[in-house]
Amino acid sequence: MTLSLVFSLLALALVRGTPILLASLGGVLSERAGIVNIALEGEMTAGAFAAALLSYFTRDPWLGAIGGVAVGASVGFALGFAATRWRVDQIVAGMGINLICTGGAAFGLIFVFNQAGVTPQVPAINQALWPMVFLGILLAAALQWTLARTPIGLRLRACGENPHAARAAGIDPLAVRLYASAIAGGLAGLGGVFLALGELNLYSDGMIAGRGFIALAAVIFGRWTPLGAAGVALIFGLLEALQFALQGTIAWLPSDFLQALPYIAALLALLGASGRYRPPAAEGKPYP
Amino acid sequence: MNGESAKALLLGTLGVVAAMSLAMLASHVSPILGFNAFFYGAFGGKQQIAETLASTTALLFPALGIAIAFRAGLFNIGAEGQLLIGGLFAGWLGTRIHVPPAFAIAAIFLAGAIGGGLWGAIAGWLKAARDANEVISTLMLNFIAASLALYLVTGPLRAPDAAGPELSLLPHAYWLPTLLPQTRATIALPIALIAASALRFVLDNTWFGYRLRAAGEAPEAARRAGISLSRVALWAMAWSGALAGMGGAALVAGELHRFNTQLSPGYGFIAIAVALVGGLEPLAICVAALAFGALESGGLALQAVAGVPKDAIHVIEGLLVFALAARRYLGARGATAR
Amino acid sequence: MQVLDDVDLRCEAGEIHALVGENGAGKSTLAAIAAGELAADAGEIERKGRVGLVHQHFALIERLRVWENVVLGHEPQQKGSIDQGAARAFVREIGERYGLEVDPDAVVETLPVGVRQRVELLRELARDPSILILDEPTAALSPGEVERLFGTIARLTDTGVGVLVITHKLDEVFAHAGRVTVLRRGSIVEARPIAEITRVQVARAMIGGEIPSIPPHEPTHGAIVVRVNSLAVPGAFENLSLQIGAGEILGIAGVEGNGQSALADALAGLTAFRGSVERPDTIGIIPQDRLLEAVIPAWSLVDNTILGRERSAGAARSWRIDRAAAREQCAAIVERFDVRTASIDAPLSTLSGGNQQKLVVGRALIDNPAFVIAYNPTRGIDIGATATVHTELLAARNRGAAILLISFELDELFALSDRILVMARGSLLGEFTDRRFDREAIGRLMVSA
Repeated sequence: MTLSLVFSLLALALVRGTPILLASLGGVLSERAGIVNIALEGEMTAGAFAAALLSYFTRDPWLGAIGGVAVGASVGFALGFAATRWRVDQIVAGMGINLICTGGAAFGLIFVFNQAGVTPQVPAINQALWPMVFLGILLAAALQWTLARTPIGLRLRACGENPHAARAAGIDPLAVRLYASAIAGGLAGLGGVFLALGELNLYSDGMIAGRGFIALAAVIFGRWTPLGAAGVALIFGLLEALQFALQGTIAWLPSDFLQALPYIAALLALLGASGRYRPPAAEGKPYP
Repeated sequence: MNGESAKALLLGTLGVVAAMSLAMLASHVSPILGFNAFFYGAFGGKQQIAETLASTTALLFPALGIAIAFRAGLFNIGAEGQLLIGGLFAGWLGTRIHVPPAFAIAAIFLAGAIGGGLWGAIAGWLKAARDANEVISTLMLNFIAASLALYLVTGPLRAPDAAGPELSLLPHAYWLPTLLPQTRATIALPIALIAASALRFVLDNTWFGYRLRAAGEAPEAARRAGISLSRVALWAMAWSGALAGMGGAALVAGELHRFNTQLSPGYGFIAIAVALVGGLEPLAICVAALAFGALESGGLALQAVAGVPKDAIHVIEGLLVFALAARRYLGARGATAR
Repeated sequence: MQVLDDVDLRCEAGEIHALVGENGAGKSTLAAIAAGELAADAGEIERKGRVGLVHQHFALIERLRVWENVVLGHEPQQKGSIDQGAARAFVREIGERYGLEVDPDAVVETLPVGVRQRVELLRELARDPSILILDEPTAALSPGEVERLFGTIARLTDTGVGVLVITHKLDEVFAHAGRVTVLRRGSIVEARPIAEITRVQVARAMIGGEIPSIPPHEPTHGAIVVRVNSLAVPGAFENLSLQIGAGEILGIAGVEGNGQSALADALAGLTAFRGSVERPDTIGIIPQDRLLEAVIPAWSLVDNTILGRERSAGAARSWRIDRAAAREQCAAIVERFDVRTASIDAPLSTLSGGNQQKLVVGRALIDNPAFVIAYNPTRGIDIGATATVHTELLAARNRGAAILLISFELDELFALSDRILVMARGSLLGEFTDRRFDREAIGRLMVSA
């Protein structure tokens, strides 16, 4: 392949990988604080839909973007609240949130726009696409540094490893977990915003297409570190890009197989991984 | 049912009613009219009841499968894919065999169970051999199943009379006999109920069921008692997929009469909610499946008559799951994202 | 159920105050309230200065380093980020001040128990407490480490810090404390200066009656039924050999973390090992952490009894569970091992710790196995239950069982064992036979390299 083809491929990889990257950063944050976040998919959906909705009505895509992040953060807050205050089973609650968000978005589509499946075109921020990509990578680096080097990062990690020890040191694990979950939702929402307003200029049913769950895989394969998760997310982006590039080029390779490429890759990665990957010790366990 | 469960159920029902009223009001529909349409759609006449029962059946099979996996401590969210592959096996076999109808129907269900069981076993093996996170593996397998089915049905297994991504029509004799004539309520329902009873028996009275529950409830204690956690994982996932696969077979032989890649509008996912609302207990799941079946058909009527989008029903189902997450379903095990 | 009832407690600067009571009396709860980690339902707490608490089960973050654990919550900062150099220096400085030297960069997970306690102490001392509470601090220490700890405590009280030691070991109380308060079933039953009370009086106050005693027993010499040769478990030990005769209790002394768990698991067939293990077919196991390893608290006593049957020798089981037989056996265990419960169908969690443990022990011993592995069989349970367990273990021994007793409590080992080996750093050192047990010598071996 020529050099320009390679560059286009890499560029596509970055674009396709960024929403996953953003959501996975959210996943890392909430899980390092101790909350299992299965709801990334729902948070991305909520963020994307809210962004499109707000952009449509205010004619201002930037407001839409902010709205998307805010809605995602609210969903994350709800999950965090249920997990810390009511001590619910976090995976079950996450699945419930996913159902609510995807159903809610579909409902909203018909309810607000009177058409099923897709919104009309809305004002978008396509010109901000590449800045957002770089923002994503910057956020990954910033989060990595924050977790490793700052007091707040240390305290957050403490809450995810041993909330009793954190409490003994004067930290409130419930508050830390709540805010971490909210910020995580905001990051995932930003991923949704990227899809709805950055890459495209609309919201359509199912546009998230499981990326929230792939982000979860990125968190695990990236060993719960921001840079690790970001790296894995970009690899998934590369696989998606490859899938586009190879469509129809290799005769004997069915297009359906290519479509399934990222998922097959994740499955194969599970073969080699696991066991040695230790999540934060207190993850998923309600405190106290 | 103890006091705490009854309270939760009451609160849940009130919550559903409240949420539905809200959805109706938001759609400029009076709740009276709305609930009228809803209940008529669910239970109003023979046709409506049959629709409810058909939805119930479609949800019951995968929900039972999900319950097996969850009780074993495995978060199987791949029922949709397992259902699809099961349906594929069933739909393919049904067009290939030439035996008396009773045998054929049995074979179709068996094929569904084998297809779904194999698909579930993949995730089970990954868990057993590599401690692979089953949330991720079953999810990925959902996507892969969709692509695989699409590929097979438009490629190697392509049927001459197919008008889309589907296989040939099943011979009329193999269509599942209906409970009420000219409806979609078939004998799949009693089969599902029998499966539920059998599951209940197995869980309570057999060593397989005991090991499964122990592994799910207290894995370390189970391991030290000599229970092989990997064997439990493998077989729990296999049986879980098998039941979901039978659901696929029921849809193929009972409703569509052929395999189509669009056979399930997310039954495998809603079944997760059904299993959770049923507290992972087979007989309670039957009741939960009926409730959700009613929600589905009532919701369709609500959309047709009152213009309330049926996705409102999914939101409500999600709220139910979220609200009931407070009950610790998996005992001491809680969440696992290992 | 009231955990604490109308409790008055006073701690003064510069003194060593001992809070004693048996397991389940409410000591840890009282400590947590005093330190401000738990809120009381009634009453008031007056504190002059900070109250530090060193927990029984350390509140340390295992995957982090020593300095991270110590400065957590009051990290030295430099332009927004943590000043790691200052943090390390701080750890070294207070370590020197109190004689608790630890490598600031070590990851807590890699440290042995005695050193972890030092980290826990450092964490509390770093916050300059006026009162320091130590909850069962000597549970996992060798005799030498115990002395060292009390030396540190003396240094602390010299600087004016008041120390409250929670313990159930009366030897230590009478060797070091100035005052003692006795807690029984949530109420204070005694509070006096040490000089004004005797050991026997304290012991009686603790359990509200006479201490049950265990009948003495003579050493026996039966045929060797357990032979372990060149046993190696990767990561734990390389070359271990031992033998146990029928009707013999072999005690394994040692500080926690020296391979005991690996030894127990290897002999039970739960972990891979190299070397040879010969043991009888029938085996009863009493694991060290009942809640984690032996029972399912939400399930009934009957269902928990079935859990133990999984490994029982016998004819091939059918696919169906014989519930009637399980109920019978459960009833038999409850009867013989004095398990106090409302019904055998009640959830196990409704039983007290001591009764739960009696069920676990009963389940292990009911079929008279030829080999018993008992790992900390009386950890955390009340004196009455402890006496029952000890009596039953001796009875099993007298019936001819070979028993491997691993315990962190020397008193328990001395009371039950016929022979004691010391396990340290992956080797079996020292053999003390014929019930001639030298506490000092054993203590030295426990910490030898």
